[in-house]
Amino acid sequence: MVTDNRSIFVIVPGFNEATVIRQTVEVLLQKNYSVIVVDDASTDTTRKTLSGLPVFYIRHVANLGQGAAIQTGIHLALKKNAQYIVTFDADGQHDVNDIERMINLLQHENADIVFGSRFLPGAASNLHLTRRLVLKTARLINYLASGILLSDANNGLRVMTREAALKIRITENRSSHNAQMQNLVKFNKLKYAECAVNVSYSEYSRRKGLKNINSIRILYDLILFKIFR
Amino acid sequence: MIPIQIVLISAVVFIAFYMYLRLRSSLLDAILIFLFCAVAVFFILFPDMTTKIAQWLGVKRGINLVFYCITLFFFFLILKLYSRMRRLENKFTEIVRENSLNRAEDLADKKDEIV
Repeated sequence: MVTDNRSIFVIVPGFNEATVIRQTVEVLLQKNYSVIVVDDASTDTTRKTLSGLPVFYIRHVANLGQGAAIQTGIHLALKKNAQYIVTFDADGQHDVNDIERMINLLQHENADIVFGSRFLPGAASNLHLTRRLVLKTARLINYLASGILLSDANNGLRVMTREAALKIRITENRSSHNAQMQNLVKFNKLKYAECAVNVSYSEYSRRKGLKNINSIRILYDLILFKIFR
Repeated sequence: MIPIQIVLISAVVFIAFYMYLRLRSSLLDAILIFLFCAVAVFFILFPDMTTKIAQWLGVKRGINLVFYCITLFFFFLILKLYSRMRRLENKFTEIVRENSLNRAEDLADKKDEIV
């Protein structure tokens, strides 16, 4: 019962990811997914690197943050009649084969949204111990903020149905968008599931991705999000 | 009147006047500004009154009470400013998003561009 892959839209938000984004996108295109790259005002050659590939390219004229980039991508995907919407990190840490498994789970469980998880049994990842501890703590804090407890609250890989995407409207531009998304899932009483996904941290994504120290910033954003909703 | 009182009172009057001109305020704003100004001038002229009020409230010295009030006021101000900032940011986001969606392109057509 797998639908035409062209109606599955993968949103790849990226900020200065020119060195890796083409590779990430090419793998997605091999699976025939529709790809939307949201360039969050990169100052590198992201657009040039991608030219020639059949992807939808949107560029923010000013840097807004990952949450905002995902929301912009959702807008375009809905406009293009996407049936399923996937969010996928640009740095290549996710495994493209997980998307299919997540969509199967979504259909099988009749869920509205499936979150990827690095911590469910069956997930392979090469996380550092400190990173693991930080993520475990983040999970609890996210639970307090959003009201739903996920085994991995800050995973960039998610699949949602068109109907869910219409209800999830991210207004938290920066790092607290994860919590906000889960909050909206609870608020709209959407049915969610989790799926074990593989994550491979390259030296690149370690260097580029969120550093542990940034979790303090995320916490700060989260508190503001709770106060000023 | 001691020199510091002259300095403070002229500053308060100047600021109030400036605010009134700048905001082109409604009558209510004008009254509020005038009230604030009057209270400030009153306490500048009779600083011992703050101590009286403070002791009535159970605080030792007037200056401590003023300090507490200012702290609370600033905290309130920061919250107000922050929520305004967030509203502005939301508008800004909408504009940037609208703009980017209008200019969305399919890069497959851009093959001829120099890679």
